[in-house]
Order: sequence, then C-alpha cells, then structure tokens
Amino acid sequence: MYGMFLAILAASVATVFAGIGSAKGVGSAAQTSMGVLSEDSSKFGKMLVLTLLPGTQGLYGFIVGFLILINCGVLGGSLPTTGQGFAFLGASVAIGIGGMISGFAQGKAAVSGITMTAKDEKNFSKAMVSITLVEIYALLAFIVSLLVVISVPNLKV
Amino acid sequence: MKTVRIIALRKDRKRLLEHLQDSALVQVTKSSETAAEGFERFDTSAQLKQFERNAELTEQALKILARVAPEKKGMLDSFKGRREVDPDEIGRIAADSAKIIGICQKIVKLNKQRADYAAEQVRIRTSLAQLEPWKKLDIPLNTKDTPTTAVLIGTLPKMFDGTLLSEALAKECPELVFEYEILYTSANMTCLVLFTPKKQREEAERALRTIGFSQPLNPTSRTPAVKMQRQQQKSEETVQKDEEARKEIAALAEYRQAICETQDYFVLRSEKYKVLADLDQTKHVFVLNGYVPEEDCAKLETLCGKAAPCVVEFGEADEDAPVKLKNSRFAEPAQSIVTMYSTPSHEDIDPTPILAFFFYFFFGMMFSDAGYGLLMIIATAIAIKVFKPDKRMYNNLKLFQYCGVATVFWGLVFGSIFGDAPAMFYKMFTGNEITMKALLPWPTLDTQKDALMIMILSIALGMVHIIVGMGCKFYVCLKRKEYAKAFFDTGLWILLLIGAAVLAVGMATNAVVLYIGTGIAVAAAIGLVLTQGREKKGFFGKLLGGVASLYDITSYISDLLSYSRLLALGLTTGVMAQVFNMLSNLFGTSPVGILFMAVIFIVGHAITIGLNALGSYVHTMRLQYVEMFSKFYEGGGRPFQPFSTKSKYFRTKGSKEE
Repeated sequence: MYGMFLAILAASVATVFAGIGSAKGVGSAAQTSMGVLSEDSSKFGKMLVLTLLPGTQGLYGFIVGFLILINCGVLGGSLPTTGQGFAFLGASVAIGIGGMISGFAQGKAAVSGITMTAKDEKNFSKAMVSITLVEIYALLAFIVSLLVVISVPNLKV
Repeated sequence: MKTVRIIALRKDRKRLLEHLQDSALVQVTKSSETAAEGFERFDTSAQLKQFERNAELTEQALKILARVAPEKKGMLDSFKGRREVDPDEIGRIAADSAKIIGICQKIVKLNKQRADYAAEQVRIRTSLAQLEPWKKLDIPLNTKDTPTTAVLIGTLPKMFDGTLLSEALAKECPELVFEYEILYTSANMTCLVLFTPKKQREEAERALRTIGFSQPLNPTSRTPAVKMQRQQQKSEETVQKDEEARKEIAALAEYRQAICETQDYFVLRSEKYKVLADLDQTKHVFVLNGYVPEEDCAKLETLCGKAAPCVVEFGEADEDAPVKLKNSRFAEPAQSIVTMYSTPSHEDIDPTPILAFFFYFFFGMMFSDAGYGLLMIIATAIAIKVFKPDKRMYNNLKLFQYCGVATVFWGLVFGSIFGDAPAMFYKMFTGNEITMKALLPWPTLDTQKDALMIMILSIALGMVHIIVGMGCKFYVCLKRKEYAKAFFDTGLWILLLIGAAVLAVGMATNAVVLYIGTGIAVAAAIGLVLTQGREKKGFFGKLLGGVASLYDITSYISDLLSYSRLLALGLTTGVMAQVFNMLSNLFGTSPVGILFMAVIFIVGHAITIGLNALGSYVHTMRLQYVEMFSKFYEGGGRPFQPFSTKSKYFRTKGSKEE
C-alpha cells in the first residue's frame, strides 16, 4: 500500500521538478527570442531551435515518471513493496533536482545564445553547442534515475 | 587550388567576365593593393554605390509590399528552386530597370506618406484628449474680457465643487465678487470659467493663482465643440488618405516579381563591378588574377579559349589560398555541417566523410524509429522530385534523407515502428497482449528493458568515434612530420583508450583478455609519464609533467559519458511514441473511438517527430563538434567563393550553381 503511494509520489517528483526547470528555462528563452523576432521575424527557425533547447529536462523527468508508473502497477502489473517505493522515490530525486537546476542554468545560457545569434546569425551553431554543454548534467541525472527505475522491479527490498 | 592569371584584350572584357561569372570557376583576387607599374585600375566605387543603393531600394520596396500586400505563399514554397531565365530576358530586365526603380521609389514615398499620416493621427488624438474636458464650454477658449466683465478660463489641479471653490476664494480675497461655471471635474483637475467685474480682475487672478489656477495650453478662437468636430473630420480625412495610399501600394504589388528580378540584376552588376575594380588594365589589355580549383583548370582553359583570345597561366597556390571542399555524393550533404563550424585550413584534413558517416549514424540512433525514418525518406524524396530545389536546399534535404535511412536501421534494431504501434493495433483488434520483440522476426534491443546494454553500446560507439578522431590527429601530425606529437601525444592515448576498452571487455568475459587490456593500458600510461614532460626542464619537471598529463584521462571519461545521450534520446523518442499510442488506444474500437484514435495518433506522432528530430539534430551536431572535432580539427580556412551569380530570385540559364 505504502509502496504504491511512494511510487506515485516518485513519479510526480520526477515529472514536476524537472518540468519546473524546463518551464522556467524555455520561458525565459522564449521571452528573449520574441524580443528578437519583433525586430526580425525571419529568424524564427533559429530562434525556435535555441528556445527549445532547455526543454529536454522536462521530457527526461516525464520519461522517468512514466517508467515508474509502468513499473509500479498503476498501468497494470504487480504492486511495489514499500522498499521498492522508496527506491523509486530515491531515483526520481536525481532527475527532479538535476533537471530543475540544469533547466534554470540552460535557460540562462539559451538567453545569451539567442542574443548572440540575434547579432550575427553565423554564431548560431556556436550558441547551440555551448547551450548543449549544460545538458550533460541533466543527462547524467537522467541516466542514474533511469538505471535505478528499470532495475527496481527485480529488487528484493 | 591553383592560382590563375588571365590576360586578354580589353574589348573582350565584358564577354569574358560574363562567361566567368556564369561558370563560377574562379575566385578573383587583387594581385596587390595598387596596380602594377604600367597598369591602372578602374575606380568603380561610384557605380557600385549606385547599384547597391538600387538593390537596397528594391529590398525596402519588397519589405513594404510584404507588409501591405503579403504574398500568398505555401508552406512548402521555400523548397522551390530559383526561376531560370535566359540572357534575352536579362536584357529585358535591364531595359525595364529604370522603370522598376521608379516604381520602388514611388512605393517608398507612399510608405513615408503613410508614416506621416500615422503621426498626424497621433497628434489629433492628443489634441482631442486635451479638448475633451472643455466639451461643455460654449464660448471659445481664448474669450476676451467684455467692457465690464473679466473672463477667466482655466484649470485647477484639484477637485473642486461650487462650495469648495467659493470657500477657497473667499479665504484668499473676501471682497471678490464672482460668478463661475464648473465644466469638468476629476480627482486631480477642475476646469472652470470665472466671471468677475473688470476692476477686480487682478484680485481674482491673484486669488486663483494661489489655489493653482492655470490657463489652457493652446487656446483657440473657436468653441471647443467646433474645434473637436474639425479635428475629428481631419482624422477621418487622414484615415481615408492613408487608406488610399495603402491601396496605391497594394496596386503596385503586381510588380513584385519584376522588383525581385531587378534586385537580382543590380546584385549581379555590382558583383561584376567589384571584380572590375580588381583588374589591372592598360589601354588595350587587362589582367585578371585569381584562384581556381585544381580539377577545374582544364575546364577554365577551354572556356576562356572559346570566349575570346586570351592567355591563361596557372601557378602553385600559396598558404592562404581559399579552400574548396570536394566530397562524394554520400558525404556532400554534411559539408554544410562542417562549414558551419569552420572551413578546414590547408593544415587540416577535410573531416566531411568521417563526420557524414557518424552524423547519419548517431542521428539515426537518437531518432531510432523505423516509421519516422521512412517518413523522412519519403518526404525528402517527394520534396526533391516536386520542387526541384537548388543545390543548397537539395543538400539539406539529402542530409535528412540519409539520416532517415539510419533512423530506419536503428528503429528496426530497437524494435520501434511508430513506437509500439504494431503491437498496439494487434492488441486493440485481437485483444491479445504482444510485445514488439515477439512480433518482429529479428532480434531486437528494447530501449527500456535493455537500457544498460544500450548504454554500454553507446559508450562503445563513442569510444570508436573518439578513437577515429584521434586517428585523424595522428595522421595530420604524420603529414606535418611532427612525429613526437603523433606517436607520444596521440598514439599513446589511443593505445591507452584501446587498452581500457579491452580491459572492459575482459571484465565481462574472461581473465586473459582482462590482463591483456590492463597490460596495454599500463604500458601506455607509463609511456605517457615518460614522454609528456619532455618540454619541461629538469628531471622532476619532466616527471611531474608526465604524471600530470595522466589527469587528462578525466576529460576522456567525460567525453565518453557524453555519448550516453545516444541512449537517452533514443529512449525519449520510444517512450513518447508509446505514450501517444497508449492515449490513442483509450477510446476502444467503436467508429468514434477509431476517429479519436486516428486524430491522437497523427497529432501525437507529429509532436514526437518535431521535438525529437530537433533534439537528435542538435545533439549529433554537438557530439561531432565537441567530442570529435576537439580531438583534431582546427579549421580557420577561407572558403572558396567564386565570382558567380549570387542572385536570390532567378538564375541565368546554363550558369553553375554555387
């Protein structure tokens, strides 16, 4: 019973916190890019790419959340034990917090990248690569969460 | 790349230059800042400025037209190639250019008038807002005193009603006799008219001034109501004039095509005049210096020979000659990815073929869905067939087509066709559970269940990618005869990485392999300690430098971990597709349910494709730029920019595309 509750809590933690990071990151990037577009709407394609870059954290969080739901019996299957529930919760904290804070940071990087591209479109690829440098940390958090989540159903705790 | 010098008669100049521009074989350069002795240069800056001004004007006019009368453009029109025109038509465009420039000027002028009308509107609105409080006043704002009565019209900066006003004035000047009318009050303004015997005018003024009385800003000789009516009338007139100007501009939109082509015409001419300024000329002869790619030398010679009697000399190119990339049909689409980073210099090798392979391969692994890949292949094939795009767009489409092929491959490996759509449909219509693994006849990897396996695979592929990058470095160093750099700085690291890889394989399989791997890695590490400090002074300096260099292993580890994104993005595509499949499955198999299913299925997969194609593109690019290019690629070369037709809207028949 507690196992189920903890697993759902874990799914929420992963989805919500990583989502907050992306929402804030994409939000500030979108604000900046709209400022650029008000001057020159032909840059829309490039701006869209840069704006969407901080969006992956939310996606990672969502995937961890979804995998937890699949593995915890909400969408069919056996119910998790309390220990497994705690394991889910522990795993979800990684992408939750890692995704949130890296989302903030990547949002800031995206804002700078957008202003840089607005000045000279040749800077686009450099801006893009620099922004993805932040992403590795969200990615590492995601991998940790993922590896735990997929192995939890086999855990005897 | 070769240098080329063409010497010909001045009377053939126009014809020769036109041929060169159409063939796009030569990049023209100045031989030196000033003309050689005995030669002179043309100063074409005046004409150049004129052409550029004209081109600028047409651009302005086009922008105005786009705003006033937007062109109806299909979403797919951007794939279309440029219109082909023959030399006769260019002659016609040239003849019409004066007329078209006139039209552009008219458009710009009309647009300026519209801006003036807009300013006028603002002015009228302010004036109306100022008059609004005085609406009830039935005498002009600048009414003068009558022989016996003084008239004071103005505002007080506070809310007053009759009693308050009387009290305030009585306090200031008890003997004042007055009559008043309050026309308007708000929290911080009161408009009023005050009548008082003429002899008391000064007292009244003083009393009023102490409570903050001020006269209206621009008094007029008509009553406010009349004035307002006039302003409104004027406003309507301006709106009408503005509308007329707008219609007039919109009527000129029929010239849009002609304006575009005229712009191209002036761009072409300014290109030609730029080259003209770089030629060394005498009274009868001119000399053109430039660069030509080695494989085009023969072509250039025959072309010049056909065009006019001339001498063509070739020479060896120097260090700062421009670079033209030449690649197979497989690698060419990825050329734009390389040049986006930097054009290779003469010191570099052209990384395009290697990059192309890994770009397609990694993109496919991240996007990893056979259905999506098939869509990409079909969509790009149709676009190429239908729109006949020009070279750049063609290459971009081809890039995604090749990526699509890799996507199909990885989709089949991961057992993903529109996510788990086949299994979902199977379950929906038969009611039996089935996994993709069971459905597909070949062995597949499940991104969710075999995630660890795929992660190891990702990092192994990353190892290959990095080692290939370092192999390039090794090759470049050998080519430059920097043997220490090649063997010690690069070779030993390659060895260490290979040792580590063998060691990892050994850990999973058997002890002998493990020992071999450890042996290689340790030997390479010792080699590094011994060689990496070679530029430091003193024994301890050398030793410390060598040991410190081992710290670089952290950067290799972080590079390798970076490849885990191959798993992460592959999984993201799969899971998102699966989620939408699940959602579309919720409504059952009734006709309405199937309708819902179709809508959710299409929209959901469109979202998945959009988000994940973008992610895959960005992240493959990053893997190439950050992880591989950092190992060997320096760039910084000058791209080859031949003298050609850089037109936007048409291209001359028979001209080569650049």
